[in-house]
Amino acid sequence: MPTPPLPSGAGLSRRALLGGIGAAGAALLLAGCAPSGVRSGGRTEITFYQTKPEAIGYFSDLVDRFNASQSSIRVVHDSTSGIAAGFVRGNPPDIAAFTYNLEMARFMERGALSDLSDMPEAATIRPEVQQLVDQYATYPGRTSVLPYSITAASVIYDQRLFADRGVEVPTTWEEFLAACQTFTSAGVTPIYSTFKEPWTVAQGLFDYTTGGMLDVADFYERMNAEGTAVGRTGSVSFEKDFAEPVDRMIQLAGLSNPNRNSRGYGDGNLAMAEGQAAMLMQGPWALGEISKSNPDARIGTFPLPMTADPDDRKVRVNLDLALWVPESSSKKSAAREFLSYLMQPDIHDAYNRDFLAFGTTTTAPPVTDERIVGMQTYYDEARFYQGASKAIPLTIPAENYVQGIVTGASAQGTLRTMDADWRRLALRA
Amino acid sequence: MSAVDKAVPRRRGRRTDPVFYLFLLPTLAMFTLAITLPAAMGVFFSFTNSIGFGDFDMVGVTNYVAMATDPAILGSYGFTMGFALVTVLAVNVIALLLAIGLTSRISAKNALRAVFVIPMVISGIIIAFVFNFLFSNSVPALGAALGIDSLRDSILANADTAWIGIVIVTAWQAIPSTLLIYIAGLLAIPGEVYEAGALDGASGWKQLKSITLPLVAGYIVINTIIGFKNFLNSYDIIVGLTNGGPGTSTRSIAMTIFSGFTGGDYAYQMANATIFFLIAVAIALVQLRITRGKAAV
Repeated sequence: MPTPPLPSGAGLSRRALLGGIGAAGAALLLAGCAPSGVRSGGRTEITFYQTKPEAIGYFSDLVDRFNASQSSIRVVHDSTSGIAAGFVRGNPPDIAAFTYNLEMARFMERGALSDLSDMPEAATIRPEVQQLVDQYATYPGRTSVLPYSITAASVIYDQRLFADRGVEVPTTWEEFLAACQTFTSAGVTPIYSTFKEPWTVAQGLFDYTTGGMLDVADFYERMNAEGTAVGRTGSVSFEKDFAEPVDRMIQLAGLSNPNRNSRGYGDGNLAMAEGQAAMLMQGPWALGEISKSNPDARIGTFPLPMTADPDDRKVRVNLDLALWVPESSSKKSAAREFLSYLMQPDIHDAYNRDFLAFGTTTTAPPVTDERIVGMQTYYDEARFYQGASKAIPLTIPAENYVQGIVTGASAQGTLRTMDADWRRLALRA
Repeated sequence: MSAVDKAVPRRRGRRTDPVFYLFLLPTLAMFTLAITLPAAMGVFFSFTNSIGFGDFDMVGVTNYVAMATDPAILGSYGFTMGFALVTVLAVNVIALLLAIGLTSRISAKNALRAVFVIPMVISGIIIAFVFNFLFSNSVPALGAALGIDSLRDSILANADTAWIGIVIVTAWQAIPSTLLIYIAGLLAIPGEVYEAGALDGASGWKQLKSITLPLVAGYIVINTIIGFKNFLNSYDIIVGLTNGGPGTSTRSIAMTIFSGFTGGDYAYQMANATIFFLIAVAIALVQLRITRGKAAV
């Protein structure tokens, strides 16, 4: 597969970045006083919004190459604005490559994103992957969001420690507990937990245990349908449906390092790099950090088995980047042209390869990095789910609640509170 | 508000040069545009179901009613009030004692004063991150080395003790400004009073109780009210230390309100902000009354 060479000089990407920021600022100023559809030097100028910190330099280079490749459109890379503020002011970017989640779905749900279903690129997306977008919300008759990059998360494990203790990758819940037992008796911490930072609990243990036992998307569909009736007496509730996974989460929390309550995200990565523990419940973003601390660490990933059936194993995915064009953009055709450029297989696949992510098209090549290659089968077979913690509106402090549970608060009481919060929210919606 | 206050006596004088109103204009315009108007809009939105953009409906007082039974909001009020009370007490006691020490005849007085004022110039979030590290790593290491079991785990990691960490750090940052006000107050007490007291046989504790404290009472009141109002607004230090955790045990009112912006619960948290604003106004009125009274004496 031919890969376009990317300039990697820090000076260039930084200059491009600064230029992009400056131009974006200027564009914002202009937008305030000039009629939309500003053309600079005969070129249509569009704003491209992308803020994933690790990828800013990468996309800046891509924007430069696109700008040099044709003479009718000039793309300006905005990596700093607040996205909600842009929509509130009625001044969103013309195109974005942005994390897609419940908060973004809010904009889509109210019709703020334009229909892309007529674009040939829309037909290349794997249906199961496109389905992930719809799990949050849909807008009738539109394909408003094109998934660009999927990151998959599962248990990160130290292959050397597993081999040393003769532990195979567990495929059932019992096997997993037995593996932990083996490590404990050998004086090795089975799981390294970092409960100081609530998000690490929510996206790690909580999402893995719930996602491994429940059909997360179906659960929230029923929760939304139930609305103000969610609770013990209704047909669905956190208290009832999450009781078992959460019990197991507490059990796994107990198998973690004794100082887990005061350790943070960085401590976990360092511990894995130093071989202090056998497993870490983190996403692929931690892989690079672990490798940075110890390039020789032999790290792999496997989905947390939560049942007695190995076929129930699933990996947690999220829509790390998705493309969309706001309805209020006056330069949709130029934005779509840039979207097509980003979706060109050589560019699209190169991004996902470089950022340890999975492709979203039917023709995307499999991943090759040995740290995530263990998740490819699950991804191919669509045995994946989006984290349960990500489907709860941020106004319910779910991450904090979950942190409370693993640090000693009553699980039943907390889940009941979450049901009450859900009902209150449904009442106001 | 201050603009109005100043305008009143001048109008009575009937000799004000109109150019002074011109001077007021920029501030008045900025204040109106940047504070009054947005605040009024916020109050308006608290009666809607807006999520911050797009269409919305008027929903009357629904948000206020829902708020009254929301344990997350009530919990944040409970925590913030309790935290503010404890902190204000700790800050004032420590600052007053330090001020008494720093105004007595000790050597290196100025150097010490400079040292004690340093925390004031460091940003809250940085202080929070540094203390976060100390509480999570240094203190437990110390506890382990000394064999003190109660220090082995970070106090921030326990829902029952995390607030203590927040009080300590907030107090550490807030003491300097309070201290400066107390030093000013103590220096304003005429030396003759102490001399007269000494002739009558007052010294030590008696001097402190019967001379110093009554004469700095006004400063204590001001420090208490200003401090309380500031601590009610606590945000950055809590975010840096616990982010509201463990669980929701240390979520402040300001953090809850802010969650409305990120969580798409804009109108609801605007209702919360409106109530919080009314409380702040009430405190400000009390402060105004008391300080006016003092000025009259």
